[in-house]
Amino acid sequence: MDNTFVVNIIHRPEMVPEYAEKITGQGQEEDIGRKSLLTESLDIFKFQQETAHKNGLRVTIQMTYASLFNEEAVSIAKHDHEVYGDEIALSLLGLPCNEFRDKYRTKDFCIWMFSMEDKKSIVDDVFGKFHDIFGFYPRSTGSYYMDADLINYIKSRYPSVKCAIATCFEEGPKAYHTCNNSWYTLLDGGPWNPWIPSKQNSHAPAADESEDSGIVAIPHLSRDLLACYDGNGSNFGTHPQNVLRGMIYDTKTWEFPYFFNLVDQYRHLAAYNKGYSYNMMFVGPGWLNKLGRWEAPYELLKKSYEDGCRYYGDLKKQGRCVDMTMAEFADFYREHKTYSEPECALWKDILYGSDKQIFWYLDPYMRAQINMDQGGALVDLRPYAAKLYWPVGIGTKHVQDASYPFLIQEKYRAGYFTHYAGEGTIKSAKLCYKGEEVDLCLCRTKAHFSRDDRTVVLTLDPVEIEFADLTVKLQTKIYFEEGSSTIRYDRVILKMSRENAVITVNEYLVACYGTTEYPEDMTGIKLKVAKTLDHRDIDYEYRCREESLPGAAIASAVIPAIETKLLVGENTGKATGYIREGYAFSPMFTLGFTKELKCGEVMSTWLRLEKAD
Amino acid sequence: MAQAGKGRLNYRCPSCFMRDIDIDMFYDKEKDEYYCLRCQYRGDEKNVLEKNELARFRYGMIGRRITIEDYGD
Repeated sequence: MDNTFVVNIIHRPEMVPEYAEKITGQGQEEDIGRKSLLTESLDIFKFQQETAHKNGLRVTIQMTYASLFNEEAVSIAKHDHEVYGDEIALSLLGLPCNEFRDKYRTKDFCIWMFSMEDKKSIVDDVFGKFHDIFGFYPRSTGSYYMDADLINYIKSRYPSVKCAIATCFEEGPKAYHTCNNSWYTLLDGGPWNPWIPSKQNSHAPAADESEDSGIVAIPHLSRDLLACYDGNGSNFGTHPQNVLRGMIYDTKTWEFPYFFNLVDQYRHLAAYNKGYSYNMMFVGPGWLNKLGRWEAPYELLKKSYEDGCRYYGDLKKQGRCVDMTMAEFADFYREHKTYSEPECALWKDILYGSDKQIFWYLDPYMRAQINMDQGGALVDLRPYAAKLYWPVGIGTKHVQDASYPFLIQEKYRAGYFTHYAGEGTIKSAKLCYKGEEVDLCLCRTKAHFSRDDRTVVLTLDPVEIEFADLTVKLQTKIYFEEGSSTIRYDRVILKMSRENAVITVNEYLVACYGTTEYPEDMTGIKLKVAKTLDHRDIDYEYRCREESLPGAAIASAVIPAIETKLLVGENTGKATGYIREGYAFSPMFTLGFTKELKCGEVMSTWLRLEKAD
Repeated sequence: MAQAGKGRLNYRCPSCFMRDIDIDMFYDKEKDEYYCLRCQYRGDEKNVLEKNELARFRYGMIGRRITIEDYGD
């Protein structure tokens, strides 16, 4: 397709905005029916609608349950649908209101945290009320997160729904910590851009029609793919007030170029995704509070929203942006995307000045992050191939934790650097020569993206490794073959200062599993290194054991807790495969291959993810 | 001594902000200072604003516009 940058602008008339009650009601007893609160909420909604329309942008109005009881909110939605072509949709955010609390006798408000029984009841209530008011069922819905069971239920009962906001990218433990350990959106491990959720796990994209949940999912906001991974995600997204929350603006001029840089970097992602790129802006009314938000006065909040809408509006006028409603976007997405087509993002730092570059890859089998500042190390890996059924909410094993588990997460389980002892999760390679060892994690480089038929290729700039009496020039190439559930790493020796020198390359992967910073029980993990007629095994017991096998073809780990099998392989039969158990202070396992290389030779290894039966 | 409340604006603790924690401060009108419930920071409005500026040190490109034309790859 020709370059197409799509934006979804979404508003919700939330009668009791998150934060607003706590702010406007400070020093007063809680009263979510307070008239001043309702009036302010509607004023904010009107302002947001006017600002979008003034800039020629159409909106998806996500009616909240509370707003369905408010005649003025309903009337605005109907009017703006008629006049501006806005879509009237239905949010599962904004449940709190007296009617809801009277019926459900709870202050819970996050749909994914309710019991399945309550989820069904609430969905039926909210959808039923919407139908009573508007005479049709919505085509779009959403929340901060929607679990697979919830999506499947909605789709089965209300088949008109074709689009939903279904996760916030990397809004997990980091957001929880930022909010003084009181904001329970534990949703790490999902896509950053739209996808078709599988019926088994909404984070994991469907691999084919049989896995298709029937909707197109969009993320809540388009977030900075580097800043969000280390810092509080809520500071770094296409949400102007979130940017203010991060204090990423000039206090004298109130300018915040970072927001526009972020939009433009998303636009640039078209270069890696066959001309398609996407943005979503969804500002809840609590962020436009008349009393200001933290140190930002209302005037700055207002200006930032106006500036944000103006930028999208200007892009639209220049023919560089297409504004769609959510339902329109779902149709567009299905028309232009296949199940197996990956989402790719070669991303650079646009805020800190670090010059760092990372690459994100997403398909129905995995989500992976490659870090060029660490020599192309694999620093995050989510095994979507397992399509892990992970029900959330009251009555399940995961009342709040909706994250898709990782095998590698360099921030939560260290990466290259650990304190004193043990290892962190990462996939990299070490070069060894005459007793010296250098890890490619210490070789900063840059990558170039290319696509060869069905394979995405990252070609890294060569790096130099200096030993005491040998210099080696090495290049890494990383291949993601569509639909294969496999990543291949080639390490090519381009040059050596001593022509006949022989070095040993140790291609290794350290992993564990989890969703947070804290270790899980590794007992029960089965490690194996094998070749045709021989194999060695270790059943994980924290005993620091190691096994190796010359000529091995595969080293693998089966992790029953997340129904995942992780395999690494080397196809020449000239390498030695090994498996390594961890210990209590280093609750990891390692899979790897070592091989001797001369100048001009290549070490090619792969990793594959499978569902473990 | 009367209870603390909120000030003119709802300032966050700059010390906690620098360690990625958003926490509201409360205002002690007798001492004319904001203080943090979680850490040991306290300061008047001028000090809070100065520290908020300091917190921006990590954003090395905060004032720089990077457009789509700046991507060469």
